[in-house]
Amino acid sequence: MMLEVKGLTVSFRGRDGDLTAVDGIDFAVEEGETFVIIGESGSGKSLTGMSVVGLTPEGAIVDGSIRFAGREVVGQPDRVMRKVRGREIGIVYQDPLGALNPVHRIGDQIAEAMTTHGIASGKEAVTRAVDLLRAVRIPDPERVARYYPHEISGGMRQRAVFAMALACRPKLLIADEPTTALDVTIKAQVLDLMRELQDEFSLTVLLITHDMGVVAEVADRILVMYAGAVAEVGPADLLMDRPAHPYTSVLLASAMVSEAEPQSELQVVPGGTPALGQMPDGCRFHPRCPRATDLCRRDEPKLREIGGAQVACHHPLTEIAEEPA
Amino acid sequence: MSAPAVTHRPVRQIDWLAVGALVVVVLLALFALVPGWIAPYDPIKLDVVNRLKPPSLAHPFGTDEAGRDIFSRVIHGTRYSMGVAIAIVASAAIFGTLYGTISGMAPRWLDNIMMRIVDLVFGFPALVLALAISAAIGRGLDSVTLALSLMWWPGFARLVRGEVLRLRNEPHVEAARALGLGQVRVMQRHVVPFVMGAVNVRATTDIGYALVAVTALSFLGLGATSPTPEWGLLIRDSRPYFGSAWWYLVFPGGIVMLTATAFSLLGDALDARSGR
Repeated sequence: MMLEVKGLTVSFRGRDGDLTAVDGIDFAVEEGETFVIIGESGSGKSLTGMSVVGLTPEGAIVDGSIRFAGREVVGQPDRVMRKVRGREIGIVYQDPLGALNPVHRIGDQIAEAMTTHGIASGKEAVTRAVDLLRAVRIPDPERVARYYPHEISGGMRQRAVFAMALACRPKLLIADEPTTALDVTIKAQVLDLMRELQDEFSLTVLLITHDMGVVAEVADRILVMYAGAVAEVGPADLLMDRPAHPYTSVLLASAMVSEAEPQSELQVVPGGTPALGQMPDGCRFHPRCPRATDLCRRDEPKLREIGGAQVACHHPLTEIAEEPA
Repeated sequence: MSAPAVTHRPVRQIDWLAVGALVVVVLLALFALVPGWIAPYDPIKLDVVNRLKPPSLAHPFGTDEAGRDIFSRVIHGTRYSMGVAIAIVASAAIFGTLYGTISGMAPRWLDNIMMRIVDLVFGFPALVLALAISAAIGRGLDSVTLALSLMWWPGFARLVRGEVLRLRNEPHVEAARALGLGQVRVMQRHVVPFVMGAVNVRATTDIGYALVAVTALSFLGLGATSPTPEWGLLIRDSRPYFGSAWWYLVFPGGIVMLTATAFSLLGDALDARSGR
C-alpha cells in the first residue's frame, strides 16, 4: 500500500470552537494507480492532499493517521517531512507560473530539487535537469533550461513543474489541480503527459481536482469528497457509469461527461458547500439533495459497501429497487 | 497574478525631477570621492584677511569667520556628512533585513517578542541615545553613526517582516517547500530576493533622512568637531554671524536640503519603477 489514510481530520481553532475542514476520512492508494479526489472548492480535498506531505496551512490541526509506504506521517516534525517532500513525494501545483521562481532559470530550479536532496550537484544536476526537461517532452531542452519562467508558455511551464516534481524520482506524485490554470487543448496534453510519465517513472498518482473531465481521462479510482467527508469512493468506471451517491451523479451531470444523454441540458447543482461551523445535522448533503428524507435530516449516513463502491448515503441511486420501506 | 512577472510597459515619459535628482546625486558622489579636484581652496587653512566675505567670483559661497572658502568647505564636507548617512542606512538595512526575515519566518511567539523589541527601539528617543553614546565614547561622527544606526534598523525590520509574511504564502515559495528545501534556503533563494526591491527604495529615501538627522546632531554639538567641514557643523558655526553674513548659513543649509530632497525624489522614482 502506497498511502493509507485513516480517520484523517484537519481542523482550525476558531473563536467559537474548532472548525473541522476534513472530518475523519479514510482511503488507501495502491501502488501504481491513479487515485483521484474530486470535490468542489471548500470540500477539503486540497487540505487532504497537503496533509500527506505536512504542508497544511499555519494553524491547521491534523489528526488521525496517514501512512506513506508504511511510515506514519502525521505528527512528524518538519525536518523529517522535508526529506520526504520532493525526494519521495513530488508535488505539482495548480498555478505553473506561480510555482516557478521568476528570478531563477528553469534549469537551475530543477537542479535545486536535486541538490537539496543530495541526488546530484553542480554540473551533473544541470545535465540531469536537461534530461528531465527532455523527459517531459520539452523541445530543445538545453535552451529551455536557460530560460526564465516568463519566457516560456503556460503548457511548457507546467511541464517544467512536472520535471521539478520528478527530479528526485519520487514514488508518489501529488498533483493538486494541475490542469486548472491551463486551457483545454493544453490540458489534454498535460494529462497525456502525466499518464506517460506515470509509466516511465513508475509513479503512483494522487490527483486532486474539481473537474470530472480530468477524472474521466486518467482515474483508476475516485474518491468523491463533500464538505470534508467522503461521499463515495470506488473504481472510476463504476462511479462514472453508475454513481450511487446523488452528489456523484449531479457532479457528473454538471460536467456533461455522461455520453448516454448527449441532448440533456446542463445541470447545475443548486446551493453551495455548507460553511465550516454551519454543518447541517444528519447527512451533509441533504439540503441540496433531491432525494433527502427525514432520515437524512436526522442521521449522518455511514460509508457502506454498495455494488463495489463505498457510499455514504441512506438512499443510494443504485439501490432503488431493494430499498427498505 | 501573484509572482512578479516581467511585463512590457508602455514607453513612459521621462521623469525630469528624477533625472535632476540623479544629477545631484552624481555630483555629490564626485564631491565625496575627489573633493580636491573640484574645491578651489583648502577647506581648513585659515585666511583671516578675507574673513566673512560675501559671495563673489573668487568665493562663490562667501567665506567664514576664519576666511575659509565656504564652497570648498561644503564640497569637502560631503564626504563626512554623506559618508555617515550612507553608513547608517547601510548598516540599518543589512541588520534590519536580517532581523525582519528571521522575525517573519519565526514561530509566532518569537515573532511577537522580536516585534515588541522593534517597538521598544522605535519608542526610544534618538536624541537621548545620541547624548548617552557621545557621553560614553566622546563626541564625534563615530558616536553619531553608532547612535543613529542603533535607532535606524527597526524601520527596515518592520518593512521586511511585512514583505516576508506576504511572500511566504506565494505559490513559488510553497512549491520550494514542496521540493523539500529547508527554511533558510527557502528564505534565501525564494523570499529575500523579492524583498530587496522594497529595501532599496526605502534605503534610498532614508539616506536623505539620515543626512538630516546627522547634520541635526552635529548642529547640536554631538557630531563632528572643528575644523572638520561637516555640513551640520558648518551650520552650527554660522549661528553667531547669521545677522551679518547670511551666506554662511544659507549655502550649507541649502546643500543639506537639496541633498535630502534629491534622495527622496530618487526613492520615489525607484518606487514607481518597481511598479508597486
